[in-house]
Formats: sequence, C-alpha cells, structure tokens
Amino acid sequence: MDFGLLFESYAAVWLNPQVILMTLLGACGGVLLGAIPGMTATMGVALLIPFSFGMDLIPSIGLLLGIYCGGMYGGSISAILIHAPGTPAAAATLMDGYPMCQKGQAGKALSVAMFSSFCGGVIGALVMTFLSPVVANMAMNFGPGEMFMLAIFGLSVIIAISGKSIAKGLISAFFGMLLCTVGLDPTNGIPRFITYKQTGLLDGFQFIPTLIGLFAVAEVIAGVERIVSGEEKQEKSNEKIKKVLPDLGTIKKIWPNILSGGLIGTFIGAIPGAGGDIAVFVSYGASKSASKHPELYGTGIPNGVAATESANNGCSGGAMIPLLSLGVPGDSVTAILLGAFIMKGITPGPMMYISELPTVYRVFAALMMANLAMLIVGCCGVRFFAKIVSVEKKLLYPIILIVSLLGAFSINKNVFDIGVCVAFGVIGWLMNKYEFPLSPILLALILGPMCEKNYVRFMNIQQGNFFAIFRSPIAVVFMAIAVAVIIYSIFNQRKINKRTAEAAE
Amino acid sequence: MKAKRAKRLLSAALVMTMLAGILGGCSSSKESSADASAEANTKTEADAEKEPEAEKEPEAEADASGDDIAYPEKGISVICPWSAGGGTDACLRAFCEALGKDLGVTLTVDNQTGGGGILGHQAIADAEPDGYTIGMITFELATYKKLGTSELTWESYDPLCRVNTDAAAITVNAEWAKSNNITDLASYIEYCKAHPGEVQMGGSSNASVWHIAGGYLMQETGIDIQMITYQEGAATAVQNAASGFIQGVTVSLAEARSFIESGHLVCLGVMDEERNESFPDVPTCKEQGYDITYFTQRGMAIPKNVDPAIKAKLEAACEAAIADADFVDFMKNNGQAISYMNSADYTEYLKQSAEDVANAMDTLGL
Repeated sequence: MDFGLLFESYAAVWLNPQVILMTLLGACGGVLLGAIPGMTATMGVALLIPFSFGMDLIPSIGLLLGIYCGGMYGGSISAILIHAPGTPAAAATLMDGYPMCQKGQAGKALSVAMFSSFCGGVIGALVMTFLSPVVANMAMNFGPGEMFMLAIFGLSVIIAISGKSIAKGLISAFFGMLLCTVGLDPTNGIPRFITYKQTGLLDGFQFIPTLIGLFAVAEVIAGVERIVSGEEKQEKSNEKIKKVLPDLGTIKKIWPNILSGGLIGTFIGAIPGAGGDIAVFVSYGASKSASKHPELYGTGIPNGVAATESANNGCSGGAMIPLLSLGVPGDSVTAILLGAFIMKGITPGPMMYISELPTVYRVFAALMMANLAMLIVGCCGVRFFAKIVSVEKKLLYPIILIVSLLGAFSINKNVFDIGVCVAFGVIGWLMNKYEFPLSPILLALILGPMCEKNYVRFMNIQQGNFFAIFRSPIAVVFMAIAVAVIIYSIFNQRKINKRTAEAAE
Repeated sequence: MKAKRAKRLLSAALVMTMLAGILGGCSSSKESSADASAEANTKTEADAEKEPEAEKEPEAEADASGDDIAYPEKGISVICPWSAGGGTDACLRAFCEALGKDLGVTLTVDNQTGGGGILGHQAIADAEPDGYTIGMITFELATYKKLGTSELTWESYDPLCRVNTDAAAITVNAEWAKSNNITDLASYIEYCKAHPGEVQMGGSSNASVWHIAGGYLMQETGIDIQMITYQEGAATAVQNAASGFIQGVTVSLAEARSFIESGHLVCLGVMDEERNESFPDVPTCKEQGYDITYFTQRGMAIPKNVDPAIKAKLEAACEAAIADADFVDFMKNNGQAISYMNSADYTEYLKQSAEDVANAMDTLGL
C-alpha cells in the first residue's frame, strides 16, 4: 500500500470540481432511477454510458459510480414508502421499512436507510482500498461447487424471513423454486413447461416483473380493496422530521447491524455471480439471529432496515474488487463499468494494479466520493420523499400501478411481461391474504437458478461424483454454516412464537 | 387503434416523467439538472416505443411518389436484440452515432431482449418495411432454426452489411499446460487425443458462439473434449479456467485478456486468418498447420420488402459509417475488430456460415 500515492489520488479526485459535479449528478440520477420500480441502477448506468464517452476517465467513472451508489439507496425509498422495491436488493428493506412507514415513521425509516447505506458504502470502499488483493484471491477460489454451496447457505436464511409459520415460509420458498424451473433449462436449453412458441417465457418468469407484481401490484390491489371496503385510513404525516440523519440513540442501537451488514455485503458482493440481492437477505437473517429481540423483526424496527441497507451498499465496494483486480465483474452494473474502462483503453485485471496503480487509487477515491454524494442527495431529499405518504391514496395507487407496469415493460420491452406482472400481483395479494410470506419466493427466485446451474456444472466437471464437494474447504464451510443456521433458526422461531404469544396475553 | 396505443404509451410515459419530476422536485440547482437528464431518458424511451407505429403514413406517401427518396425524414429506430451495456449494444451504439452523421437524423437504439436474442431478431424481421426500423443481427441467428427455438434464418432479412467479427481462441490454464508439456496447438491436440473426453473447456451459454466454437474445434481436429456451458457468460468461464476448475476456454481473446496478461492463462491459437492486433505474439491456428477459422459476427439488417432506393441509401450510409474516425477509434479501444462486408457479400457469407454452424452443432449433439 503506497499511502503517499493514495493521499495524492484522493486529493486529485476530491479537489476536482468536474469530478464532484459529475458524481453529484450521478447520485441524483441514481436515487431517482432507483426509486422508480423497474428502473434499476444497471439501466441508469447503461443509459448514461454514451454521455460519458467525451469525458476523461475519472469524471465519467465518478458519474457512473454516483448512479450505482445512488440507485442502491434509491431502491429503498419506494420499498419503504409504497411497498414497491425499486431494485431487487431493496426487497429485503421492505420487510421492516414498510411496517415502519405504516407506524408513521416514514421519515425515520428513510433516514436510517440513508445513513446505513452510506456507512455500508464506506465500509465497502475501505475494504476495497485496503484488502483488495486478499479478497480477490478469495473470489478466485469460487468455482461451481463453492457457488452451489453458497446458494444453499443463502437458502438457509428462508426460515429467518418466513414470519410466523415456518411451514408457510417453506411453501412460499418451494413455490419460488418451482417458478425457476419454467423456461429453457440453463445447461442444455431444453424447454420446460413451455413450447418454443411461448417466446415470453423462454427465459422463464422475468425477475423484475415478477418482483414488481408480487410487491407493488399486490399492494395496489390490497389498497383498492381497503378503499372499497372503507377500511383505508388516510395517513397524515404527523411525523416532524427535525433532523435528516438518525439521532444518536438510534445510531447506538443500529451500529452493530450496520457493521455486520457492511461486511457481509462487501464479501458477498466480491464473489462474481453473487450480489446485493443475496447479501441483503443473509445480512437480515444474521442480524435477526444475533438479536436479543428477534420477535420484533418484521414489525418495523430500524435494525432490520439498517442490516439490509448497509449490506446493499457494501456490495458496491465489494463488486468493484473482482472488477478491478481480476477483470471479472461482480454484478451487472460492474459488467457495464468494465466496458467503460475498456473504452478508455484500460483493461481491469491483475495487470492494472501494476501498470495503472494511480488510476486504481483514483477509482477508490471516486467510490468514496460517490457514497458521500449519495448521502448529500439523500439528506436533501428525505423531507420531501416522506411527503409521498400523505398523498391521497385514491391518487397514489393508480400512479403506482402505472409506474409499476411501465417498469415491468421497460426491462425487455416485452408486452408479455406486463401480463406476468399483473398475474403475480394477484398471486401476491392472495398470498398476503392467507398470510404466506412473500420474501421467501423472492429469495428462491434469486438463488434457484444459481443453485441449479452451478450444481449441474459441478456434476459435469466431476463426472457425476457429488462427494467431490468435500474436497473443497470453502464449500464444506458453507455447508456447515447452512446446517447450523437452519437448526438455530428453528429454535429461534420457537422462541419468537412463544414471546409473541406471551405478549398477546 | 394503433394511434390509440401510441397515445396510451405516451400518456404513461408522461405520468412517469411527472413522477420523476415530483420525486426530484426537492429543488437544489444541482438536482434539477439531473432531473432533466432523467426526463430526457424517459422521453427517448417513449420515442423509441412509439416510432414503429407512428411512421406508417409517411411511408405510404413515399411509395406513391415513386423513386423520389425523401429518406430519412425522421429519426430511425434501431433494434438491438441484446441488453444495454453488452458487446453488441456497445458496437451498435457507436455505429449508430456514425450512421447518424451520414443520414442527418438521430438513430435511437432500442434494446428488445429476451429468449436468447430471439425476441429482438423477430422484431427486426416483423418491423414495418419502411426503412424507419432497422436492426443488428448477430451470430446466434444461425442457431435458432437448428435448435428449433425459432423459424428465423438469415433469409428472414435483407442484410445491409457486416460490421464486426471476433474470433474464438483456444486458451488454457497456464499451470495445467506447463505440467502436461503443452506449449502449442499441436501438443494440446496430442494431449486431447491421448486423454479423450477428459479435457474440459468452457464456452459461454448453451449453443452460444463460443460453445459451438468447441464443437467446431472437435470436428476439425477429431479430438474429444467436454464442453462446459456457462449461462452467465464468458467472464465466469474465464475465471474458472484461470483458477483451474476447468482446463481452458474457447472464448474470444478480448474476453480472456486480463488473465492472459497476468499469466494465469496462455492462448495456444486464435481461430482467425491473421494475428490479432492487440496480441501480436499469439499465433493463429492456421500458422500452426490447422486450418480452423471461427468467429462471431454482427451486422446490420432490415426487414424484407423495403423500397430498394431506401435500401441503397442505407447501404451507402453503412459504408461511410464503417470508415468514420470516431467509430474506428471506439472499436479499437473496445477490442472489437471491424470487418466490413457489403450487402451482397454479407448475404453470401450468412448463407455459408449457416451451413457451417449447423455442422458444428451436429458434432456437439445440439
């Protein structure tokens, strides 16, 4: 670590007005795009890449990182306020964020989300600055077997996010797993449950339309039902938002969640092929398991929001590690960033640390600035975003519906996806009515394909000998943790149910 | 009815723009400019959506006036069957910039993705033949009919020109090669022949260009290797090869570049006519006595039955755009080779490669 050079690079980046302006612009755009369901940070980055052609490398990277970090936080805004996760990774924030909003703490939820996002992002950026080579080495050791076990480990969190009934949670999860089997199988391209004529389903149910349907559209249907039956009460935003940042008492309560979330996010983000959407659920499960009051999770407590949002933004730093040091993008946004580097004549990879070290350090500095820019934009916006809650519901629901359907359409520009979105809206609404949790479906949708393709690939490489998995220490560790998590969460759930019953009496 | 649909789309876009406005209305001066850019984005998208429908009438007029080619009078929508940010998208966006200079109108790239590129390819073939919807067709087009996933073939289009080709390369794990005394293509093939079915090579997804490259290699050299598919793309395959989970990859040099430079991987031969400019030390297969050339290709195409005068104009624009200095620079930086073919040559080429691809797919049992 060359600290002189690091300091110099920070100075060069942080004192450059063009970089500052571009990063702030990016963060604004990112927060907005992230907040609109179906518009993801990935899309924002892809759309703005052409605008960055004419710029120098660092301002354009600043712009793109601004969108990336802003989009990560932006997704939580709509998740908290209108039950519509703006990005897949924000779906976990919804579990505690939306209940907080319903309790009239929308402003607090937003400020906790923002503060945790910022801290998580800073943790990610710090790990990236000081531990890149170590983490990159670890990421290199992830092959098909390790990825399969990582996915299994991710699935073990299902119980923790199941709510009251483990059985109902598992039913939801298996339903999600079944959904993953629709479409062309990932290894040999054999059609499952479809014919080749059904082009809309060739790739299976598209993730984002399904997500928007299950959460946003289902909420709209439920809302309309409440309006019709006269149960809907207009929330008046009585909450006075004095400070845009959480107060010291709250920070004291949530800092362990932020720290662990940031680290979990960074490390999962650093594994190519695993990203924020997995990290948030793992972090949520971890913080619930470690908590003295696990029964409060899901009822709207800041700890749940802090755990997911810090993991979410920790990922941005984590995903940059394999991008810069291996040339392997950690997620879809970094895949596009890879293209941006190459266009400027720099090939990320092991050689970059040797031949382009100043550039690497400047990217570190730019990521740090992008996180700060996100915090500034967030602070300016909190008061305003929170007002959405007091918009009259009769007006709000149609807007949510239109934006949601448009978002579902815009992913592939395929009308079929709108149908998928509406169908899952109805399914989500029914499941909510009968108290089946929705988050396990989502986790299964994220992890199912990852499980399947890595399992098949592993078996192909090992010629069908599954026990070869015991030769990989990483895979064995994940397997052991998964078993431990499952056993622990069953006991934990019993404790939770007991306490809830006591509280009810 | 169509006008109604366009109107509905437009109003939906308006609502969205409004919402973006509301969300962003927290009004510091910095933010309003970001707001504007967000709005601009939504607008271009809305434009791209309504264009194919809105352009119907001018075309009828142009037809009536015979050979008078007042074309183009409006922006052109360009369909990209692959997602924003990928190799095809990058190449197409740069090419459209260059085309726009010559044609004097804006070309809007419209990513219609899904179904392994089928949906976008279908949209190009089905587009109104008025010259206001064109698109980029890619290698995968040659596989659909054989796989049975779609009836689309090169005959579904009027090809305009070939823009780019990227050759496959045989790249293996450096340690593995060293411990088995593999130094060039001949020793690799010898090793594979001595160990049939044992060597595992990664391509990208099933029936993708790099997967079929492996089949082509087997067919031409008579070796038996196991192809491992990587649905998530070449990057993961390259990483797995570099860490030794598999022995090698059959992806392009550009995709394996960082690990070749770091010494994790060595390239034994590139399946091209000539050496790659960025890798002057990597020999071609041909130099080593194996006449294997295999590459992915991308080109521009229009639906059938477009007015020949319009087609001629587009062809001329493509020829000019290929030589555009900015486009050439961009492609060089991006590691993508420009390999232009005019309409007639490209058509002939597509016909020939459809046969070759079908044969290689037979070898893989696809």
